[in-house]
Amino acid sequence: MTVPTTVTAPARASAGNDVLLEVRDLRTYFHVLDGTVKAVDGVSFSVRRGQTIGLVGESGCGKSVTALTIMRLLDIPPAEIASGEIIFEGRDLLTLSEDEMRHVRGNDIAMIFQEPMTSLNPVYTVGDQIAEAVMLHQRLSKKEAWNKAIESLRAVGINNPERRVKQYPHELSGGMRQRVMIAMALSCDPKLLIADEPTTALDVTIQAQILELIKDVQDRTGTALMLITHDLGVVAETVHDVLVMYAGRIVETGTVEDVLLAPKHPYTEGLLRSIPSRGMKGQRLNVIKGTVPNPFNMPKGCNFAPRCPYAFAPCAEYDPRIEEANPPDVACWLYTPAPGSPIPPRIRPRRPVEVGA
Amino acid sequence: MTKYIIRRTLGLLPLFVGAVVISFLLMRAAPGGPQAALAGIKSITQEDREKWLRRWCLQAEVTPINMLKEFGGWLGVLNCDSDTVPEIFFSAQGGLNVLPAALGGGDNGILHGDLGLSIRAGRPVVDVILERVPATLLLTTTALALWVGIAILIGTYAAVHRYSLFDQGMTFLAYVFYSLPTFWLGLMLIFFFAVFLRTSGVTDFFPSGGIITTRDWPPFNTPQYWAAFGERPMAAIVDIGRHLVLPVFTLVAVNIAADSRFVRAAMLEALNQDYIRTARAKGLPARTVIAKHAFRNAMLPVVTNVALELPFLVSGAIVTETIFTWPGLGRLFIESVGARDYFVLMGLLLVSTVFILIANLLADIVYAIVDPRIRYD
Repeated sequence: MTVPTTVTAPARASAGNDVLLEVRDLRTYFHVLDGTVKAVDGVSFSVRRGQTIGLVGESGCGKSVTALTIMRLLDIPPAEIASGEIIFEGRDLLTLSEDEMRHVRGNDIAMIFQEPMTSLNPVYTVGDQIAEAVMLHQRLSKKEAWNKAIESLRAVGINNPERRVKQYPHELSGGMRQRVMIAMALSCDPKLLIADEPTTALDVTIQAQILELIKDVQDRTGTALMLITHDLGVVAETVHDVLVMYAGRIVETGTVEDVLLAPKHPYTEGLLRSIPSRGMKGQRLNVIKGTVPNPFNMPKGCNFAPRCPYAFAPCAEYDPRIEEANPPDVACWLYTPAPGSPIPPRIRPRRPVEVGA
Repeated sequence: MTKYIIRRTLGLLPLFVGAVVISFLLMRAAPGGPQAALAGIKSITQEDREKWLRRWCLQAEVTPINMLKEFGGWLGVLNCDSDTVPEIFFSAQGGLNVLPAALGGGDNGILHGDLGLSIRAGRPVVDVILERVPATLLLTTTALALWVGIAILIGTYAAVHRYSLFDQGMTFLAYVFYSLPTFWLGLMLIFFFAVFLRTSGVTDFFPSGGIITTRDWPPFNTPQYWAAFGERPMAAIVDIGRHLVLPVFTLVAVNIAADSRFVRAAMLEALNQDYIRTARAKGLPARTVIAKHAFRNAMLPVVTNVALELPFLVSGAIVTETIFTWPGLGRLFIESVGARDYFVLMGLLLVSTVFILIANLLADIVYAIVDPRIRYD
């Protein structure tokens, strides 16, 4: 192995503009009986070493597919990666052979999934399952890998790891299993950790513990983190930068402060408004009216226009793209003049949104 | 684990008793038993007929008390040479009939271990059954081992390469063979391989039935046969092997069709689980993901299914054995039905019952071993 397997804290401190992962114009389509679903339809973003980004959006917006595409875990067919580049440490992952990609998976990029209850194999002990990855990527003996498994369980705050390592997944609670998943993901010191809704299936108290743990191991190991969630509370607590996704596109990006306190895109604003708050006891919850557009029949103009309270003439005609936007952090005709449209953009000042108001 | 096995075994006892009673009632409830067969023979005197009926505790009329007498006779508790209480409970030797013969008890019945006396053979049922066991076990274990092994290979490969040409071809073949009645398939095989190929001069390798070539060997499973077997073992094995091909194929074709679908479904389900995605995300090669993570999980339902197929070993080949004149238990069953030899029939039912119970027990135990989630305390 020529690639160093540990990224130390100093490496992270000197991160700066050191780009670890760059995704360019990624398009992932699914060909099914009824037609083609453009689950990811032109997504670009980058992750620096040690950085934490949050990928936010409602169910079905393409967050998980983006992650699975980066890991190349989708079955092709029915999936098709129609275009794009995924540059990880200077190599385009999409051009790697399956064997080369296997050395990236679990070793350079690790992933944690939403369902800790079903993500572990029920017929093998957790120690077997962690040691398996270690033996594969670090060429350790069985004994050494087993000790490494115990160490990684200890590192994720599991008491008495010598006993736990011999247990089967069904003997552990949900929170404990997610810790095991995290231990497994971190056992090979990945440079990027993708966490796909890591706390969604857990109790609220356990959620807080798991988030704390993820932040903690990130601080210790300096791994970059891509956190996928629909929970804006989780985003606020955990990430540096936010990407808001809607219907397969990134519609807004920015630092967590900018996006959560002064959202630009009407969709982001709607998301924040629909969070229930304590002050609104007895009132109806705010919702974003309408539903996500039919994936087989996307609107001609802006995907969000049919649900947007601010929609005006160009929105139904022209498709706003964040790559062509000015300012470059939001895909919306309220900010970027629509091409050839006689209607001038309605510039709105950034204003804080009161959560739930 | 030991406690679990003991508890499971004890739980089978009431089931066994229930099965004994029900198999007796079912047989007895059907009209036209040995009595009817005997009544049709004009040359026997009334006296002989009664003596004969007494020998097996058979009663002329079906009444509750007569049923009890017959059941008691079959169990070996009653001695129907006498008709009055309490003599009926005692054997000719003067001891309680239920006791072993050595202690002055009776000499046939379930409780005496010989499963009663065969009407047709005039010998203990257990001997009649045991002499047919080798032929049946040879046929059924060969078939079971082949079809389970092949079904696992086909099912796994088809699931991994879902919707491939192989998968679709196997799906088609599975439906074809699953739909073919055994008796028809068997007859067609005989017609083509044993008759057509022979008469057209291609080969006379495939015999049309039997377990050995009767013109070259003494009757199967007799001391003379085993002596001849000892002299020319290779020739004997080849001879039996030749006779095995067609009946084994008949049994295997249908069962591969069913089991390969089962394995395919189990494997597909395992492959769609979240832990498979986890295993791939670790960077494991596809072969390891399939062979280690998916296969072991897919085998859990398959192991149960196979364990429940084990009773087939003694009872599964009635039609095939009859078509291929195979001297096994299945053919014994059909012969005994024809001869109204109810004691052999009930004996065979009893043996199958025991096998089904043991197979269920085995399924539970094996499942508890292979699946760590099963608790046995």
